[in-house]
Amino acid sequence: MKRTVGMIVAIGALLAGMVVLSLLCYLAAGALAGVAVKLGAPPSYGAAVANALTILLVVVMVTASLLTVAERKWSALMQQRIGANRILVFGNPLGGVPYLLADALKMLTKEATSPATRSRLMFELAPVLSFAPVFMLFAVIPVGPEVTVLGQRVALMVASPDAGLLYIFAISSVAVYGTSLGGWASNNKAGLLGGVRASSQMISYEVSLGLSLVGLMMAYRTLRLDEMVVAQGYPVLGFLPALGILLQPAAFLIFFASAFAETKRAPFDLPEGESEIVGYFVEYSGMKFGMMFLAEFVEIVVLAGMVVALFLGGWHPILFEGWLRANLSPLWFAAVGGGAFLAKMVFLTWLQLMLRWLLPRFRYDQIQLLCWKMLLPAAIANVFITGAVILIDPSLTLLAWIGLAEIVLFVGVTAVAARAPAEEHGHAAHAAGHAGGH
Amino acid sequence: MPYKLPQDRPVTLRERLYFPEIMRGLGIVTNHFVRNLFFARDPNPDILERRSRATNVTLQYPEEKQPYPPGYRGLHRLVPREDGKPRCVACYMCATACPAQCIYIEAGEVEGDPIEKYPKKFVIDELRCVVCGFCVEACPKDAIRMDTGEHAPPHWDRKSHYLDETKLLRGPPVSYQQDPWLRRPSPGIPAADLEAMRASARPFHTVATDEYCQTPGFSVRALAAEAKSRGK
Repeated sequence: MKRTVGMIVAIGALLAGMVVLSLLCYLAAGALAGVAVKLGAPPSYGAAVANALTILLVVVMVTASLLTVAERKWSALMQQRIGANRILVFGNPLGGVPYLLADALKMLTKEATSPATRSRLMFELAPVLSFAPVFMLFAVIPVGPEVTVLGQRVALMVASPDAGLLYIFAISSVAVYGTSLGGWASNNKAGLLGGVRASSQMISYEVSLGLSLVGLMMAYRTLRLDEMVVAQGYPVLGFLPALGILLQPAAFLIFFASAFAETKRAPFDLPEGESEIVGYFVEYSGMKFGMMFLAEFVEIVVLAGMVVALFLGGWHPILFEGWLRANLSPLWFAAVGGGAFLAKMVFLTWLQLMLRWLLPRFRYDQIQLLCWKMLLPAAIANVFITGAVILIDPSLTLLAWIGLAEIVLFVGVTAVAARAPAEEHGHAAHAAGHAGGH
Repeated sequence: MPYKLPQDRPVTLRERLYFPEIMRGLGIVTNHFVRNLFFARDPNPDILERRSRATNVTLQYPEEKQPYPPGYRGLHRLVPREDGKPRCVACYMCATACPAQCIYIEAGEVEGDPIEKYPKKFVIDELRCVVCGFCVEACPKDAIRMDTGEHAPPHWDRKSHYLDETKLLRGPPVSYQQDPWLRRPSPGIPAADLEAMRASARPFHTVATDEYCQTPGFSVRALAAEAKSRGK
């Protein structure tokens, strides 16, 4: 009972807090826009500021910092533990959310020690360099459809450059500088190892990451993410919309695996590798460590946002979309779309947190093998096959059929092969122990 | 080689495909996650089967405590009589039996009674005590018990660990029909008290049962009956 009340209170408070924060951001942006108009700037300036504040600060930052708590609590749930519950608010742990404040306070007030032999400039620069790029990535991800507010066209994304996807590739490549610089500048063997591992791993996975999206660029004939999301709303096979995951299921898996490797989380957490080397941030403490730590969670959010926008239909609330569009005012439809985007994003972040406890850390050679021998050839083959299919049938119908066949084949093989293994001594007991859940 | 080492099982096709295995693992982890998210184990530690649909069995220690087993030897206590005096007759049996020599007794004579003795001082050094329970076994008068179900509490200084008769004397009073001070006129005890004690005296137990040898209020049978009544 107490637990249910706590959950409801925590979730309600979070939603209310996000709404209030968004409102405050929009009010602040409106005031700024008023000032800007007086100084002679175009009125659309206000919408841009509002989006930058709301989407980056509220959506990304709040979600990422909540994920630090979720990492503890969700991991605990998966492992039959209780998780963080020692901070009580009126006798209720509130799902561990108060730990957010405690963590922030701890990070900010901890003594920041740094090694005497560090290269000072790079050492101080590295946390910023690892934090800022991942934060920038979210700028091109559309959170909702375009709406008209007070006569202004407002796109619910911070920026919409023509080179949307290329911007993503470019900025996500920059993110590696933070980690490798941090490892190098701390003048620590373990840190250096972590930095070197991070750079080699991330540079490898850049390749398959980029190539996996070429098929999508060809199918939607654009690099801009907002246009891609709009294109995913059109039906292609009867009632089925042209979702990225339908047109390019193989690319979805390749992209997810590669981007997951880019976030440096388990099972790809070799740069960190707590049990062998502490990782590239071994010499960092206090808020400098906190930024590197938070960057990881921002990366999770950004990866979830990218996958949603590219493959899962972005803000399209796929179910009942026609009815919703017909019966709701555009503003409310945009709100529903934003909610759909957030729901999909939360599901994907949950999936990423779950994968961490599902898969053990890969060995280093296995990581390189997975990238160069499996993902990269698959991505290249995907590019050629998609190109040929689009050449044959530019209406995407054939591509959708092939994608559907791929999905059916995949599900079929998995279902056939995923039945419980033939019971053998030792291994079977192990599996049964897991299934029974002690 | 004298014996064959167990070899790793050859990897099957299903495991080589890798993805079906991930899916299976995903199912297992999701199962745990959902069950622990929506269900919680019963916070009442007296329930034997505490996890409902949740897989979680954690006992949150300071708030929830596991009941000790019936034979648990906790902190000592001196059993009082109905008139508030200890049952102890200062016979030194416990102090003699104690392998750690942690019991110190000073005997005193009861005012006006030529036979009875009582402990003027009865001190147990809980730091030296090895919690063997020999004192309880040795006592002929059921005057010392270890049925409090408490740990020796922590203190800042050694002196606080020396429990004297004022700290030891607690718990419900007990009288037996065989008690010598009930079977003869005892001038040391007020007449009214003596009558009350004789009225409430029980036969001396020959078999150790819940009621006599365990923590007051603790009963395995009651717990089991309660768990059974809850459908388990």
